[in-house]
Amino acid sequence: MIKINNLHKSFGDNQVLKGISEQINKGEVVSVIGPSGSGKSTFLRCINLLEQPTQGDIFIDGQSITAAGACVDKLRQKVGMVFQNFNLFPHKTVKQNIMLAPVKLGVMNQQQAGAEADRLLTLVGLKDKADAYPSSLSGGQKQRVAIARALAMKPELMLFDEPTSALDPEMVGDVLDVMKSLAEDGMTMVIVTHEMGFARDVSDRVIFMDGGYIVEQSEPEALFSKPKEARTQEFLSKVLR
Amino acid sequence: MIDAINSSLFTPIGSDGLIGIYLILNGLKVTLIVTFFAMIMGSVLGVATTLMKMSSKWYFSWPANLYVSVIRGTPVVVQLVILYFIVLASLDVDKITAAIIAFGLNSGAYISEIIRAGIQAVDKGQMEAARSLGLSHWSTMKEVILPQAIKNILPSLGNEFIVLLKETAVIGFIGGVDLMRAGEIIRSRTFEDSVPLFTCAIIYLLLTYIFTFMLSRFETRLKQSD
Repeated sequence: MIKINNLHKSFGDNQVLKGISEQINKGEVVSVIGPSGSGKSTFLRCINLLEQPTQGDIFIDGQSITAAGACVDKLRQKVGMVFQNFNLFPHKTVKQNIMLAPVKLGVMNQQQAGAEADRLLTLVGLKDKADAYPSSLSGGQKQRVAIARALAMKPELMLFDEPTSALDPEMVGDVLDVMKSLAEDGMTMVIVTHEMGFARDVSDRVIFMDGGYIVEQSEPEALFSKPKEARTQEFLSKVLR
Repeated sequence: MIDAINSSLFTPIGSDGLIGIYLILNGLKVTLIVTFFAMIMGSVLGVATTLMKMSSKWYFSWPANLYVSVIRGTPVVVQLVILYFIVLASLDVDKITAAIIAFGLNSGAYISEIIRAGIQAVDKGQMEAARSLGLSHWSTMKEVILPQAIKNILPSLGNEFIVLLKETAVIGFIGGVDLMRAGEIIRSRTFEDSVPLFTCAIIYLLLTYIFTFMLSRFETRLKQSD
């Protein structure tokens, strides 16, 4: 579904991604782990072109998104994204947050979008918050609304950029549960995370990144219990206690 | 005291036989007209300049940046005098129109900076979130960024209008008779300093006070949507 060839990204002189080649298949759940500054968030943000790659190609469903003249807005409709800081629109209610994109982009009419918003809010367990403003929600609730908002565009792929890093520990579970049920429904997902337990439980594959490279990747059991590379062992020994 | 008020405001002064309060009210009218139309012109110019400055095309952004630098780097009274005596000299433009153009040009530059700051104060995650949903740059601006920016912009914009009102007091430099100039005329004809000058000051104070009050009412109404 996604094919990435030799992806490079620099910010000025700072080279963040130094050649990533990767393939993610339909229905696959891939977790990306690694220390801060390893380039994992930048990698994720390149997939929907929030960062413009300096070099390399990305194909989604066989279509190049990095080629000149590629329709970025159309691509992004197929790729949902959930951010660390939720980024809900504070001047709109929960329901309006979810309905904005489908209605503005003409994917659904007002009525269809309203019904879809209700369905998604039930899915994330926040039906009673439909008319609340984001400022009145807890972090965990905000993140679940953000997931519902991304799902409203019926994306084929969901990107999660450290979705639980800004949450109180007791809120993390609710968000992870929603993500888990998405994964079970067959959604293709790429998750940048520090939740090792979650990565282990839910992923089909775990990628370990460091210094702008993919150091190692395999099935979660193999990566967490028998990492091959010394750098992976060192990282895991620090985060798994 | 009563005598001074009576002689400088309510008795005919000078060769034309006009009474002081008449001069003051006429001057006030000029001050209000210039402020009001300069405000409108400045707002339109401010929005246009902001759009140009945010453009990725240099031939839009460069002139806009130059305009803002020149206006912010020179005193408004210098701009007014240059505009009236040099730029508009060959055209038959009356003093009030010239003043409106000068103050409109001046506040346009400041307003564009206010709008830019208001837009930039909106968290950049908002833009990313809307774009990641597939919204275009412009519909993100319209639906997500501007409604939030307006709350940052309004208080500073109100402040700019108060500054504008007070700055029109230099219209006398091109011979226009605004509130301040009216006070000066009375002063020179009656040799009475305190009454005309304090009258002007009190009227300016009242005007800005009323304006601030209206603005704070408006802001409270906007905040109710939070």
